[in-house]
Amino acid sequence: MVSDGLLDAAAARAWVDAFVGVADAERGALGELDRRSGDGDFGSNLQTSLTRARVELASATGATPAEPFALLSTAFLNTGGTSGPLYGMWFRELSRTFGEAEAVGLDALAAAVAAGTATVQRLGGATVGDKTMVDALAPAGDALAAAAAAGDALPEALRAAALAARAGAEGTAELVARRGRASYVGEVARGVIDPGAVTVALFFEAAPGVSAS
Amino acid sequence: MRRQFINDPQEHVREALDGFERTYPHLVRWNREPSYVARATPPAQPKVALVAGGGSGHEPLHAGFVGSGMLDAAVPGAIFSSPTAIQLEAATRAADSGRGVLHVIKNYTGDVMNFGIAAELVSADGIEVERVLVADDLATDAPEGTGPGRRGTAAVLVVEKACGAAAERGASLQEVAALGRRIADNARTMAMALASCAHPGESEPSFELGPDEVELGVGIHGERGVARVPFGTAAQLVPQLVDPVVEALGLTRGDEVIAIVNGLGATHPLELSVVFRETALLLEEAGITIARQLVGPYVTALDMAGVSITLVRADAELVELWDAPVRTAALTW
Repeated sequence: MVSDGLLDAAAARAWVDAFVGVADAERGALGELDRRSGDGDFGSNLQTSLTRARVELASATGATPAEPFALLSTAFLNTGGTSGPLYGMWFRELSRTFGEAEAVGLDALAAAVAAGTATVQRLGGATVGDKTMVDALAPAGDALAAAAAAGDALPEALRAAALAARAGAEGTAELVARRGRASYVGEVARGVIDPGAVTVALFFEAAPGVSAS
Repeated sequence: MRRQFINDPQEHVREALDGFERTYPHLVRWNREPSYVARATPPAQPKVALVAGGGSGHEPLHAGFVGSGMLDAAVPGAIFSSPTAIQLEAATRAADSGRGVLHVIKNYTGDVMNFGIAAELVSADGIEVERVLVADDLATDAPEGTGPGRRGTAAVLVVEKACGAAAERGASLQEVAALGRRIADNARTMAMALASCAHPGESEPSFELGPDEVELGVGIHGERGVARVPFGTAAQLVPQLVDPVVEALGLTRGDEVIAIVNGLGATHPLELSVVFRETALLLEEAGITIARQLVGPYVTALDMAGVSITLVRADAELVELWDAPVRTAALTW
């Protein structure tokens, strides 16, 4: 699926399906993190997005790797709250960067993730260290860019991105929020990892070949 | 224990929108999916379109202000939750008549973000969007850059009214946006609650007050305020709202304002009139002229008992726009 260093349509679809599955399985735990640090609507909003994603994905043609990310984007943009729409715009940048290509390589993926993260930062106003999804997105993007520069293979790069995203998410425990709903509770959320960042880690861990390692 | 006229909490907003459309079929049309309220009849001439939106539970805001002289579309989210970017995108596309769209946004993280995303989605198709951010709630005043900033509350209706009038007269998108920002910059609000609100289907309010307590600096979502102050007579309570607003706007003798005494949902018109009287007496004493006023429940927080007082620094242009004809469910003259 990621043979020849390329992510083809089937691999992209498998990635998105795996993410939807694992995010659904984890949504109770994510919701609990949000109850301790935000306003508690993360789990139910995520459920709405994932339910809609399944409906959208059912109508996929399977023609391009961009398509499942575009459908995921629509599902998340159809959700209330703040993190759902940001994921929606992040997935949208992935799909836009992939365009009509039948398969994309590490360079395109690194560029897509960088573009998506820039959009999330612009719209959400968060930077690294604000205890948001950006704390996982940015290191994952950096890992992909570094892997691309080093000429690494795609599966290896995805594993590096997953590890970086997970480390970034775990690191949010020590941060005090300056953006998002957790900013309203301040110190109370110290020690709690950010569910938005954890969701990003789940996404990269769902990439083809990552969990198999 | 509170009781409500309700069928299903999950369907409450949609059933209310259905009822609203049935009440004002000559004024509005409810687009069901994605959900937004538009004018029943589009404007005869191309004009700058005004789109506002936000969580439900603040009725008649915003759908009650859809109609000639005010909004072209209103986008309701779930109770106290931002509408989705997809809803806002659809409403923006529907409202555009070729001269651009003004987004009137109350300053809340979710609203700001979803309006921003919608603007980005439609810009891909060449629809021009400007935004006015309304952030008038003094209770949430804090130094710049230290948080999400002041909340947007009742001043939004002055922005919608005046910008709607300017748009109707053919002003450009940039002119309407500049007007809206100027109004928003010159408007401040302070609110207090005698009792908090209960969400649809819930019997308990979001916070409890003792018989001798008043919550000062409440927002419009049943969130706690900034202080608990002793209950008292209207003459004792109203200055606690008016004085800080006068001070924040730097109003002095000879200044003119538009004043809004806004009921938060469960406060009776008799009480609102008494609150307005106290407001008028205080301003009169300070030598500040109330050029125009509005008294009633316009920006509510479900069934919260309380009032907000908004003052907007007024000049001849704003008063003239305020007086321009308007025909909506909640405001008509």
